[in-house]
Amino acid sequence: MSEGSVQIKDLVKTYTDDRGRPTFTAVKKINLNIDNGEFMVLVGPSGCGKTTTLRMVAGLEKISSGTISIGERVVNDLEPKDRGIAMVFQNYALYPHMSIFNNMAFGLQLAKKKKDFIQETVSKTSRALGLDSMLERKPQALSGGQRQRVALGRAIVRNPQVFLFDEPLSNLDAKMRVQMRSEISRLHTQLGNTMIYVTHDQVEAMTMGDRICVMKDGLIMQVADPLTLYRKPENLFVAGFIGSPPMNLLKGKIQKRDGGLFFVESAEKDALNLPLQGRLEPLAAKYVDKDVVFGIRPEHISNEPQEGSNTPVTMTVDISEPMGSESLVYMKAGTGNVIARIHGENLYHQGDKVTVQLNLDKVSLFDPQTENVIR
Amino acid sequence: MTPKDKLLIRKICAHAFLIGFIALVLAPFVMVVTASLRKGNFAPSRVFLSPNEYSLEHWKFVLGVPYEEVVNAATGEKRVIRAGTPPLLWFWNSIKVSLIASTGIILLSGTAAYAFSRLKFRFRKPTLVGLLILQMFPLLLALVAFYVILDFTGQYLKWLGLNTHPGLIMVYLGGISSYIWMIKGYFDTIPLSMEESARIDGASRFQTFLRILLPMSLPIFAVVFILSFIGYMSEYPVASVVLQTSDNWTLAVGANSFLYEQEKLWGRFAALAVLSGVPITVMFLLCQRFVIGGLTSGGVKE
Repeated sequence: MSEGSVQIKDLVKTYTDDRGRPTFTAVKKINLNIDNGEFMVLVGPSGCGKTTTLRMVAGLEKISSGTISIGERVVNDLEPKDRGIAMVFQNYALYPHMSIFNNMAFGLQLAKKKKDFIQETVSKTSRALGLDSMLERKPQALSGGQRQRVALGRAIVRNPQVFLFDEPLSNLDAKMRVQMRSEISRLHTQLGNTMIYVTHDQVEAMTMGDRICVMKDGLIMQVADPLTLYRKPENLFVAGFIGSPPMNLLKGKIQKRDGGLFFVESAEKDALNLPLQGRLEPLAAKYVDKDVVFGIRPEHISNEPQEGSNTPVTMTVDISEPMGSESLVYMKAGTGNVIARIHGENLYHQGDKVTVQLNLDKVSLFDPQTENVIR
Repeated sequence: MTPKDKLLIRKICAHAFLIGFIALVLAPFVMVVTASLRKGNFAPSRVFLSPNEYSLEHWKFVLGVPYEEVVNAATGEKRVIRAGTPPLLWFWNSIKVSLIASTGIILLSGTAAYAFSRLKFRFRKPTLVGLLILQMFPLLLALVAFYVILDFTGQYLKWLGLNTHPGLIMVYLGGISSYIWMIKGYFDTIPLSMEESARIDGASRFQTFLRILLPMSLPIFAVVFILSFIGYMSEYPVASVVLQTSDNWTLAVGANSFLYEQEKLWGRFAALAVLSGVPITVMFLLCQRFVIGGLTSGGVKE
């Protein structure tokens, strides 16, 4: 049963002007396999090509080269309506001159389905989405969240193999966003269809996705499940993109001193000098006297030693953000601030000298040239 | 002076100004109406008339009602005045030509605007700029060309030549450039995602145009219809060159025919002028309900 699987092979999209001359390559040859029933999130900064990729799967953008297959069927030359997809747009794209009922029924009406069938399908879906009391209203009489649900309903009524979402929650306020997020996740559990979800919000990506595809400048940076992306980023971009507050990334060199390996920050003042042990040693050994980027997540810097190899560092507090059960403490280091997530209700003030323990087992080292992680 | 007094004075001044201004703007119109109701053929110059200066003779003439006129004051000899060609025929010609031409304009400029707004093709931008430049030249400049073209077509298609209504309409349909720009501009403000959604739902390009884009564009189409209708109802130069026999004349040409060099029949001219305002007003009232702002509201999140 693979009707909902999507295979993207060597996909390229180059935009051209009116005369057919190439102007901009938005997608630069990507390969991605999405399993049937998977919730795949395409995430990345603006302009990374995620929406273009989604639109090529939908059939709204012409494919410059490469193939897209839905359910083992190459769909390059198929019209959107024949691909077995349905799409939910960022700005809802509801037809303002039609009632909610007609909005959802439009596709079925075009396909000349019987009136009873249309009535039944639309009623069922609208009931499931809590819209059955507003079927005669026009979109302008609905709230943002309700309109988005109508857009969802319109997609569900099409009974597609693959659902495509183009940043559907970006236009909602924070509270509505959290609510719709769980509704979409619940929908996925109920229907079980393949869903491809585009967003620039990494929190949405992490909470909703079975797997996440991080994109940048038209290329795929990494594809993995959320936890793997978080724990084992394969390059600097993913490391800095996933996680909030972001991973601390310090530039420096590996030096051999007194028989041990040290990470020395490249800075005049407040340069950190960190002795490296355990898991990091063999990795650092390959880069002696070379530039590296030292990456550690805020929660792996704490005031008490954690499981594994730890190294103590004393730093001066710059800013402190007490959140209640923990504080986000910004401490001065050579090339910027180091953010630490320190548990407890202690208050930290600017100028305080704090000794923190860095959990070396959770550190990632990156090659600044290739931007890849050092394995 | 208390603030209240100051406010009162300001209100009085504002109202006085507005009333004065409106009176100034309306005065010429009222003068034309008065001239049409005035005995004799005086040029519009008076706003109010004394009771014995009123006469319905001009309106009777225009509406085709024959009336008697004293020719010789001495003998009391009367004669019946009746128009050679009833002005109501000119009225009907004008309405016919304007309605058909306006409908044609909507069809042609609407579809052209769709192409310019939604389709990609070579020379799209240069053609648009060319249209922009073209619309700066009034239709009138090509008068000689129109004459020659219509003369030519009239030789092969009797119904599409000089002195025919289809010929005139054909010439009128050429004034399309500014309307294409207006409609294209409006289409550009309608988000593409609605048409894409329709495409996913299975609508062909034409179905999308007909069932999604058009209903949402009613305001601009109403505006284009009204503007072109007014333009063609009052158009004189081209019509006067193309239409030659009096039973083909439009209102504007017919009205002008009353202004003989020796005796300008202002009364009848004024009556015809007022008459030509009636269909325009009716059209405005009819199209008003389509010019609703915010037609796209609720469809997309801006």
